[in-house]
Parts: sequence; structure tokens; C-alpha cells
Amino acid sequence: MRRWMLAALAGAALTMAAMPAQAAWKSYINRELGFSFMAPGEVKASVGTYRGNIAGPRQTIVYRSVEDNIEYKVTVMSFIQAQAEGANILGEREYMFQDGKKVLMDTFARVEPGKESVYGRKIVVDLPDKKGRSTGAFYFTKGKLITLEATVLPANGDFASPDPGRFIDSIAFVPSRMEPGAIELETPRLE
Amino acid sequence: MRFTVLATLVGALAAMTAPATAAWRGYISHPLGFAFAAPGELKVEKGTYRGAVAGQHDTLVYRFVDDDIEYKAVVIDMSDKANDAATLLGEAEYNFQNGKKVLMDTFGRVDRQFGRKLTIDLPNNAGRASAAFYFINGRIVSLQATVLPANGDYDTPEMGRFVDSITFFTVRAEDDAIELPVPPK
Repeated sequence: MRRWMLAALAGAALTMAAMPAQAAWKSYINRELGFSFMAPGEVKASVGTYRGNIAGPRQTIVYRSVEDNIEYKVTVMSFIQAQAEGANILGEREYMFQDGKKVLMDTFARVEPGKESVYGRKIVVDLPDKKGRSTGAFYFTKGKLITLEATVLPANGDFASPDPGRFIDSIAFVPSRMEPGAIELETPRLE
Repeated sequence: MRFTVLATLVGALAAMTAPATAAWRGYISHPLGFAFAAPGELKVEKGTYRGAVAGQHDTLVYRFVDDDIEYKAVVIDMSDKANDAATLLGEAEYNFQNGKKVLMDTFGRVDRQFGRKLTIDLPNNAGRASAAFYFINGRIVSLQATVLPANGDYDTPEMGRFVDSITFFTVRAEDDAIELPVPPK
């Protein structure tokens, strides 16, 4: 009997040691930019760049974490002076995300109910040269283009992982839906 | 010889009984900033569009029917909410396909405008519709072609011809394009 128990304990310990350590998912919020999301791992803020034919060259605010070889990224661009061009800017961003890649899914995305709805798109692509699988969600609201991207890298290999979907679907734009204990994100200053 | 003459006559008769398809003509609206091509007689109508985000808006419809295919250019003035362009366009696209069988849903790209093209089967075998949606100058502009059951040729290229005929660059409009009537007040 004692031998059985020892074997069971050793088995459990081995299984836990062999499993990749999973960080807890936390809620993050940026009240200034007007959204919240959930992600695992340590979320770091940085400034990047983007260029589109219609959007032109833009500075971007990026919130990024990597956990278990899945990269989670929220990118924000401001188009306060071109809000009426939002549909076009959004369409271009969606198009660029999937251009030249194998599209596995491209469907409507809607966040918030009724007249508060924000419509966008969710797209899943396989990256060229077996570099992984990316899931993206794209929204344009209140003068900002907000993109969520989760990329399962080859080192992870579980391309059917539910984690990208959990990340993408965690976005909220209405304050009442944002979690009370969410970690406040700082907004990096742009030049 | 007599057989050849008879066969020719029968063939000619068959061709004459085929549905008469009207010639395609170019149309342009300088005030609204778009042009397209369609067959049949033009009718200008007013309608109503409702969306949870958009609210209720009047629509201007340029409508044609030819060979049991209905062609519509629908213009919705959203200038009071133009800052919500992306969501308003998304809502219009969503409403078009909501509850219907979607056969195609892809990017529409015309003259630096990004939109979407969708093809759906209407419920209760009411036909097949193809549409393109764009948001430009504070307006949703949508071209919609519906093959009715009386036509029955759901793979007809006419739907695509209509939907893809839209242009937002007046230089790309046909030289002899007919100016669309000013929207009725």
C-alpha cells in the first residue's frame, strides 16, 4: 500500500515538473485609452511604428507579454483627426494582417451589446515558413485603432490552444465590463 | 438543305424566346462621389435603415430590375455619426448577413477604399444576394444584386459585374455615364 502511494506521489511530482509553468492571467486596464484586456505573463509597454498606405506612418503603443511560447500583443494607434476614415484605416490594417498568409478564419467581431457595440473582425492566419499561428482582433473606436494579436510560436506547437481566443475575446471597451481589480497600464509618451 | 433551314429557324426562334437582357449603362453621382454600371430602367426610391448603433436613417436607393435580377445602389447618410465609421460599416455588413447562409465574405478594395463583399442565400429560397459595402465621405455606399428565384441562375456573373463596377474616382467612370438624379427631398 505504501509503495502504491509513493509511486502515485512520484508520478504526480514528475508530471508537474514536466509541465511548462503557466503564469496566472491578470486583467489590465488603460482608462486613458479606454479599454481593458486579460493576459498571462508580465505585460510590458513600449512604443513601435506602423505604416499603411492610407494610415501613413504612425507611432504605436504596444503592450506585450510572452508566456509558454505564445506572444500576446495589444497595439494602439491614434487617429483622432481622421475618425471619419476609421472604416478604411481598419480595413487596411485587417488586410495587411492577412496579406500573403494562409487565412484559417475571418469573421465578424462584436464587443459590447446594443448601441454600445463596437464592430470589428477576428482573423486567424498561419504565418509563412512555419513561424506559427496568429489570431488577431481589430477594432476602431473613439479615434483609436486597437489590435489584439496572439501568436502561438513553433516552440509551443499547440496551434489549437484556446489561449489566443481567451486573450482576443477578453477585450472590453465599456467601463462597467472592466474588472474592478485590473492592473492600471501606463501610457507611454509618443514623440 | 431543308433540314438545315428548319434547324436555323428553330434556333433563331429559341434565341428570340430567351429572356431579353437590357444593355448595361454607366451611372455617376458627382455629389455623392461614386459611379457604377447596371442594366434596366433606373428607379429612385427612398427607404429606411435601422441599426442598434446607427439608429434610424433614411436611405437613397437607385434600383434596377432586369431578367429577374434586382440591382440596388443604397446610400445611407451617416454624416452625423461619421466618427463611428468603422463600427457603422461593420454593423451594416453584419445586418446584411445576419441569420442567412453566408457563401462568401471577403475584402472589398476599390480606389483606396477598403470594404467588404458578401454573398448570401436568402431564407425560404428567396434568392441569392451579393453585396459590397464601403464607407466614404460620411456615407455607407452599398451595391446589392439579388438573383430572384424566377431567374434561378444563382451562379450568374451579373451579380459580380454589378458589385465590382463601383468606382469612387470619377475619372474611372464611363465617359457616357448618366448623372444620377439628385436625391429627392
